[in-house]
Amino acid sequence: MQTRIESLGRVAIVTPSGRLDFGAAALFQSELESALANTPAGVVIDCAGLDYVSSAGLRVFLLVSRAAARSGIALVICSLKPAVREVFDVSGFSQIIAMGADRAAALEKMPQ
Amino acid sequence: MNERHTTMPSDAAQLPALLTFLQDFWSEFKLPPAEALTFELALEEVFMNVVMHGSHADRAPRVNVSITLEDDGVTLTVEDDGPPFDPLSLPAPDLTASLETRRVGGLGVFLVRQVMDSVRYERRDTTNRLKMTKNMAGVGPRHAA
Repeated sequence: MQTRIESLGRVAIVTPSGRLDFGAAALFQSELESALANTPAGVVIDCAGLDYVSSAGLRVFLLVSRAAARSGIALVICSLKPAVREVFDVSGFSQIIAMGADRAAALEKMPQ
Repeated sequence: MNERHTTMPSDAAQLPALLTFLQDFWSEFKLPPAEALTFELALEEVFMNVVMHGSHADRAPRVNVSITLEDDGVTLTVEDDGPPFDPLSLPAPDLTASLETRRVGGLGVFLVRQVMDSVRYERRDTTNRLKMTKNMAGVGPRHAA
């Protein structure tokens, strides 16, 4: 898996691609934690290139969403492929993590 | 013969090899790509459960994985010689918990139960066996050209 992180004003845009499995989860978590440590106003995780997620990956999304909420940082996950979306839905995570249909929708949820 | 199997130590470093094993089976039998991810998920979750629970033993358990193409379905069987452990005994996660209180434990097995049509556990002699089947209409020997 590869992760790109860029800044758009005070918003960090995180773009993971490939497979977020057990083997990739630890690095992805530390990359997201670094992004949060820069105290952006918000974080958008654009998953358009994410092909696969397991419970190890869901755990990272949960922990990072919780850390962001505690720090007052808006965090939205967007552009899930159908197979990844299904895992989010089945696990109930779509109900507790802020989701956007696409990047534009996610950016609308960022603080202005 | 519509069955393939592989054996490996219960070590997370084996995950890429397991993925290759599954993908080779998928292309050999020309199975629907959309269902491949379902089996990749189930195999990762079940294998990692064995790795986690087997780590309490004095040696890493051996894991046998077999996959069988049946009429109108595919069956994945994961066996290990670790301590007795029935993953189906884990409580389901509380799907109504909030972001702050939601726990991650047990999520993997829960996902497997959701994406498969049947999941059965049995302890036989010194072996844990988890057998998972997904119905897939139109696949299997009876449908072969």
